[in-house]
Amino acid sequence: MLGFILRRIISTIPVMGIVALFVFSLLYIAPGDPAVVIAGDQATPQDVERIRTALGLDRPFLERFAEWSWRILHGDLGTSMFTGMPVTQLIGQRLEPTLSLMVITLILSIVIAVPMGVVAAWKAGSWIDRVLMGFAVFGFSVPVFVVGYVLAYVFALELELLPVQGYTPLSAGLWPWFENLILPSIALGCVYIALIARITRASMLEVLQQDYIRTARAKGLGQRPILFLHALKNAAIPIVTVIGIGMALLIGGAVVTESVFAIPGLGRLTIDAILRRDYPVIQGIVLLFSFIYVLVNLIVDLIYTVLDPRIRY
Amino acid sequence: MDRRSFLKSSLSVGALAASGGIAAPAIAQGAAKTLKFVPQANLANFDPIWGTQYVVRNASMLVWDTLYGVNDKLEAQPQMVEGDEVSSDGLTWTFKLRSGLKFHTGEPVLAKDVVASLTRWCARDPMGLMIKAIQKELAAVDDKTVKWVLSKPFPKMRFALGKNNTPIAFIMPERIAQTDPFKQITEYVGSGPMKFAQKEWVPGAKAVFEKFADYVPRSEPASWLAGGKVIAIDRLEWVIMPDPATASAALQSGEIDWWETPIPDLIPVLKRNRNIKVDIADPLGNVGSFRLNHMHPPFDNLKVRKAVQMALSQEDYMRAVVGSDDSLWQLLPSFFTPGTPFYTEEGGDILKGPRSIDGAKKLLAEAGYSGQPVTCIVAQDQAPLKAMGEVTADLLKKIGMTVDFVATDWGTVGQRRASKSPPGQGGWGMFHTWHAGADCATPAAYNALRGTGDNAWFGWPNSPNTEKEIEAWFEAKNADEEKSAMARINKAAMDDVVYIPTGFYKGFQAWRSNISGVVGGPLPFFWNVKKG
Amino acid sequence: MTATASSPAEVPVLVGEPELPDILPPVKQRHGISGFAYRHPAIAIGGFMLLLLILMAILAPFLGTTDPSALAPAKRTRSPSAEFWFGSDMMGRDIYSRVIYGARVSLVVGFSVAIIASIAGLVVGLISGFVRWADSIIMRIMDGMMSIPPILLAVALMALTRGSVGNVIAAIAVAEFPRVTRLVRGVVLSLREQPYVEAAVAAGTRTPMIIIRHILPNTIAPLSVQATYICASAMITESILSFIGAGTPPIIPSWGNIMADGRALWQVKPFIVFFPAIFLSLTVLAVNLLGDGLRDAVDPRMAKRL
Repeated sequence: MLGFILRRIISTIPVMGIVALFVFSLLYIAPGDPAVVIAGDQATPQDVERIRTALGLDRPFLERFAEWSWRILHGDLGTSMFTGMPVTQLIGQRLEPTLSLMVITLILSIVIAVPMGVVAAWKAGSWIDRVLMGFAVFGFSVPVFVVGYVLAYVFALELELLPVQGYTPLSAGLWPWFENLILPSIALGCVYIALIARITRASMLEVLQQDYIRTARAKGLGQRPILFLHALKNAAIPIVTVIGIGMALLIGGAVVTESVFAIPGLGRLTIDAILRRDYPVIQGIVLLFSFIYVLVNLIVDLIYTVLDPRIRY
Repeated sequence: MDRRSFLKSSLSVGALAASGGIAAPAIAQGAAKTLKFVPQANLANFDPIWGTQYVVRNASMLVWDTLYGVNDKLEAQPQMVEGDEVSSDGLTWTFKLRSGLKFHTGEPVLAKDVVASLTRWCARDPMGLMIKAIQKELAAVDDKTVKWVLSKPFPKMRFALGKNNTPIAFIMPERIAQTDPFKQITEYVGSGPMKFAQKEWVPGAKAVFEKFADYVPRSEPASWLAGGKVIAIDRLEWVIMPDPATASAALQSGEIDWWETPIPDLIPVLKRNRNIKVDIADPLGNVGSFRLNHMHPPFDNLKVRKAVQMALSQEDYMRAVVGSDDSLWQLLPSFFTPGTPFYTEEGGDILKGPRSIDGAKKLLAEAGYSGQPVTCIVAQDQAPLKAMGEVTADLLKKIGMTVDFVATDWGTVGQRRASKSPPGQGGWGMFHTWHAGADCATPAAYNALRGTGDNAWFGWPNSPNTEKEIEAWFEAKNADEEKSAMARINKAAMDDVVYIPTGFYKGFQAWRSNISGVVGGPLPFFWNVKKG
Repeated sequence: MTATASSPAEVPVLVGEPELPDILPPVKQRHGISGFAYRHPAIAIGGFMLLLLILMAILAPFLGTTDPSALAPAKRTRSPSAEFWFGSDMMGRDIYSRVIYGARVSLVVGFSVAIIASIAGLVVGLISGFVRWADSIIMRIMDGMMSIPPILLAVALMALTRGSVGNVIAAIAVAEFPRVTRLVRGVVLSLREQPYVEAAVAAGTRTPMIIIRHILPNTIAPLSVQATYICASAMITESILSFIGAGTPPIIPSWGNIMADGRALWQVKPFIVFFPAIFLSLTVLAVNLLGDGLRDAVDPRMAKRL
């Protein structure tokens, strides 16, 4: 087990290296010049050139990549070209809001979607099933920003139940923190609710046809224990898998959600950095994302072994 | 938990929190001395000499002070100086600092700080560069006195040091001002009325300013950058909101107090709300620009430029940019800012009256235009530029030109417009931008109007006539001479089509009605703004 | 290491009849279209809706539309009326015409991404499944690409060049194809251990022959299901790219950029966002229904395979 974890962690290094090189070369061939944005509209070309030299943007690709990689090995992600702040600090500031948003979204999605899927499977073919799954498809097909605006309008502006926007750090209290995250996580969660509900229903249907469920039924066990204890436990593997791959999608959706709800998270930092060509920040973020991705998939694999003792590494 | 009980519990907890003053809306109303402001853009860097975006200038105006400051008539008034003296030959300027000036660290502001700050500013500012070119000596005479010796008189000295155009001559401590003007400062200490809470700065999300208790405001009433900058709030939070729909909702719910740039189409909703006040943000507005590349076909040909000029409908551009409210825009047969003392429409007739599509087609035929594509580089992430770009695509098609529409972001436009290559090889044919009306009041800081060819601003217009008249303006000895020089500049630049103004437009600002003291101007002024 | 793969795509069963009733109903075979629709309602409904939308896109010029990019700034943000059936947008363009023509862009983006990602994923997946030494390299690269959120990858790619339909397609396809690669590789690996494939290998059948005879036929089914989901998700991604300002330029109408343009005004002029949103939702719904139906039809147990 320990060996497996170690191997997995070591095998992430090439992944992250590939991601880094890929993104670096992508940015290198991309047009757009941070020096221009910094200098402002009235600046002369000479000014821009001076700034470019001062930022080291005039040096060749390989030199810059080598230098950057060398610094990464020393745990230094560099400093932002625009703010002059260390990238680690910029990312650190943004980590809490984004992680909070993701965790709440994930929990909310699972709490809503799994029962939905279970009920739909249990009542398969009935109108309840159709309504639930119709909702799931709908959740799939509406862009997240549309959902976000409608939620903000109804629950914040009209009903005045929740704040329109913003983020309050957890340190300011549990409720203020949570209150700001409710609407964004529902908006962001729509897709996951749909996704998880559908996969849950499907896996449950598979499991419910297995012999041991029939046996349990024959023994006279009630519906609820059958559904939630026996069936769900065995249907869990595909569900966990979907949650794992959902992470990358979740980060993507967070970009939009953070804009709509003015949450100072990583998604917005990323878009801002791309639009301004703040190379060190983009590099740092992408490395972080690939790390999170690898980590989540590692956790998912570990959960497999817990769910299904037949799986060994 | 089902939906109803969930909402019920959230309600009760919300009420509890509100009474305890923890919930977010409660903070906005509870602590009356914190002002929440949504600025026009993200404060991504904070060095007003190194970076010259307006948003940086606006924030810097709180933290750093200036020797002079312009009032609402754009006249430079003493701010940090007690007074100045000009020698009779106009070559030696002596500035004396007023007493009580202190940096946020507690150290007094000394003449050596002024010398270092002006030196750094001179390297970056167009007017500063002109002074630097004729500078003989810039030195501290004593702790309170600075002497500037020139080889030629520079009558616009006070304006140069007090103007609101970027970069502004901010006074920083010597150790900070010694930073290379092309490198960014990392410490934000000034002697302005508010301190920058660097620890709370989250670029892209939030910037916080705190009242500087030791600031001694002037006794005169405040007028824009001049007079007493009295801070009546304890704390100012800049909240960055990239989404206008969100900012609008937040203002309506009272989560923010003041929104610098509400989009015009949302103004009716805001006006309907009794708790919100709306007014023109900047009487000096903005000048929209259709910038052409004078270096390459087709716009290297004056007739082609003229063709576009006579067909271009400023009304179309302005409606696309500011929407349906006609009080927000006006036709601009001029390169200068309407409402300023030297405004002129000399030579601008071609932009007035019915637009001539047929005339444009005829001119294009005469010019021998044979369908070379016009490469339009259009920033999609800047709403006014995106809107203008769409009108342009439509216009050029109407007069029979081929459009190569490059939809991209502002960062790319910024880089690509610097390329002097032909449009097909990474260059460009036209792009849109806008200039703040405050910058276009006179030729003083108006780079975009210069016609110095290869050395001119992007597009590289070569207009010796314009240049000649701009020179005449700088040497003008009185208002009449200035006025007539500007009329001749306008005519020359119109004739050569240095660029095509797409109209003059203003924007709104909106604030909660419990805020008082908000005034219109080229930047938001936080002094004398009260809450509650 | 085992399957971390599977993908949002392998999400099974919307409607349909995967349950095996204890007692089979009396067999009453229907024939023709009605019979097919009865056996596969999801395919029938989804396919029919999609067909209508495709017809709409093709026949756009004959559906009472005007030039979708003709500006009329004097007639901006008009509410729906006889002149503007769906209202007009901020530039005075007719939203009805833009929505109808926009179907072309959205459908082209959806289908092209699905086809390109499927083919690229098929080729790379087959290589990965058959060429042992290349497998780990390819899969590391795919891991790397999958770890970058598709939207961010697409935004970065858009920054490379200009916003155009072709670039939107390329950007989304690059982001989607690693998932297809994983799917195909998974299918190949599981098929290789099937006795009949092992037998073919033992009999000395050459690899291309094995691929054509045994692998491809078994890959087509899951691949086509996956393709429908990619198609749906590509249309959504297109709208999100427009939201960020990295999508197709507004002179080419797409549902995404109509919504992105109108989003700031949703509180005052909700119709600008509403109509394209309805059409986008219907299309995605149709494609998803088709995908679900296909999956049930080709192999009800496919979800198990990965």
